Amino acid sequence: MKNKKILCCLMALVTAFTVLSGCGMGNPSQKTVEMVAKGFQHDFWKAVKKGADQAGKDLGVNINFVGPEGEGAIAAQVEMINNAINKKPAAICIAALDTTASLDAVNKAKANNIPVIGFDSGVPGAPEGTIFANASTDNYKAGELAAQKMYETISQKLTTGSSRIGVVSQEANSQSISMRTQGFLDKMEKLIESTGRSVAIIGHTKFSNGKTQGDVIIDVAIPPEINDTQGQTSAQTLLNKDDLIAIYGSNEFAAKAIINADAAISGGRIGNDKVVAVGFDSGALQIDAIRNRKFLGSVTQDPISIGYRAVELAVKAMNGEEAEDVDTGSQWYTADNIDSDAIKPLLYQ
Amino acid sequence: MNDIIENIKTKGMQKFIALGALIVLYVAFSVFGNNFFTVDTLVSIFDASYYIGFLAIGVTFVIITGGIDLSIGTVMMCSAIVGGTLYNNMGVPLWLSLFVIILVGGIFGLLNGIMVSRLKLPPFIATLGTMMVASGIGSIVSNVQSTTFPMRSAADGWYKNIFRTADNFPTGIFVLILFTLLAVILLNKTVIGRYTYAIGSNKEAARLSGVNVQRWETVVYVISGLFAGLAGIAYAATYTTILPGAGQGFELQAIAGVVVGGTSLSGGVGSIIGTFIGVFIMSILKIGLPYVNLQPHYQTLITGIVVIGAVLLDIYRTKKEKSIKSKS
Repeated sequence: MKNKKILCCLMALVTAFTVLSGCGMGNPSQKTVEMVAKGFQHDFWKAVKKGADQAGKDLGVNINFVGPEGEGAIAAQVEMINNAINKKPAAICIAALDTTASLDAVNKAKANNIPVIGFDSGVPGAPEGTIFANASTDNYKAGELAAQKMYETISQKLTTGSSRIGVVSQEANSQSISMRTQGFLDKMEKLIESTGRSVAIIGHTKFSNGKTQGDVIIDVAIPPEINDTQGQTSAQTLLNKDDLIAIYGSNEFAAKAIINADAAISGGRIGNDKVVAVGFDSGALQIDAIRNRKFLGSVTQDPISIGYRAVELAVKAMNGEEAEDVDTGSQWYTADNIDSDAIKPLLYQ
Repeated sequence: MNDIIENIKTKGMQKFIALGALIVLYVAFSVFGNNFFTVDTLVSIFDASYYIGFLAIGVTFVIITGGIDLSIGTVMMCSAIVGGTLYNNMGVPLWLSLFVIILVGGIFGLLNGIMVSRLKLPPFIATLGTMMVASGIGSIVSNVQSTTFPMRSAADGWYKNIFRTADNFPTGIFVLILFTLLAVILLNKTVIGRYTYAIGSNKEAARLSGVNVQRWETVVYVISGLFAGLAGIAYAATYTTILPGAGQGFELQAIAGVVVGGTSLSGGVGSIIGTFIGVFIMSILKIGLPYVNLQPHYQTLITGIVVIGAVLLDIYRTKKEKSIKSKS
């Protein structure tokens, strides 16, 4: 009796696997490019996948696009990279959550003569020669762009008295997010110091410039855990400081945190004539905030182009051609150009 | 008068300690925190307490029976995703979607209940499995895409008022208190509550004295699931977009709140009011620590120490209580 039950269960499982494995098979005559993304949670990755699939169609390769459940799942992603290598694909594209954790896998790919292409943040700091090329946003430049645009609006307020600029950064480990935060901080510091005012960057130790006092204080908040409650708390701590004149969120999560925190404050603190808010990427909440002029504007990457260019590089690699890193670019958008042909395709809900 | 003191000494000590700790924490953050003592911050503390509060109240029932429910975090997210997908992609009216959210939570609870009571799976394993199942189903249903609930400005934005009005009035605290009272009545005045304690104190004795242990154990998991569904609505109302694959970790935050509130993980002992207080202690820590300019890693560290301290205090108190009882 009991054995029969177990047998039934096993058979059900086998059937399930057969059915499931039937899905996701590409054209067997084409070469396959394995792509390991950082996850599917954020709409950003859907746009990347869209670009990759389009390139796969255009260039005649199968794309197998995978990613871990969440952006904290470093170990799960390393397993995915290893699995992808074990399938011996023609090329593999990686957006590493954590460089050091992925290095073994990257070396293994090299040992197996599988070319590795970095996309989005890629595999920064990987040893020379292991990465064929990268298709990514220059995140440092993108951060500078955000600082430049914010500075143009708040420069008047910065000339007298003491004031504070808040920065919400999802984390300090990921290269892409750190660079956007760093690019913003460096540029803002330079712009303000060029007017003879002093700047102190406080908050998280990683970004501190060693000063604690200054005419302008840039306050970097990083939530202890990556979830909505902690993000909102970090943003709200900044918004509750009376001398705050502007705030920057360096990715979709951080921008959402600012929007949610502001909604929880009576009357709201952010707006173009109040605390100037600048975001990064898009997403339904952020687009809404920009349309309602709660946000001055945001910097968007070009996720479709990231996916497309990565596959393009992969095809070059498998054909033995040479290639260089591609900057897939970033754009500034506001309520005024949000619906323009140049911006609209780059945004996702 | 002596009776009251006696009562506090034997039964309510933990609750009073917890309540005292809650007040001390709030006052301390108000004194040392930069701008902590404001209505807005208080509303944020409430915001962070709604979904964890519902999760914690539901799981308190399970923990009193000596079980555990690890699935509540992902069940909360999964049910919210199901509701959001119905609303966004299938044109189901919002009120019905919200109802489905609670229903989905209840179904997961039923699944847990059947596995634990009928199939005799250890609760830890059964609900660990459900945790993953719920996470997977959430990703499948949403096609691994985030689900956005209507924003306040949208036509269907009314549901946000259940937890916070447009002028920032925290209506949610009344909703939470209402369900807390409901749970208190359920646990202390009804047959469900009596059997919950009975199963937790001694399952075998409960069975021998004629309690239908299988049925009531199932009911307890269903309650936990339904509350996880409620938490899903609270989460959607507060944070608007729901990410698939998220939710893991919230169950442990809820369980921490339960334990800080004096409910024993070995079963038979516990109270809803204690849980309510425990949840707020955790929320005040979560919201308050950034206001005293602590680096994030220190915040996690301190929260951990508080949980351990609370449990130690509880163990110490029960020991003392027992020694007093055995002397008299």
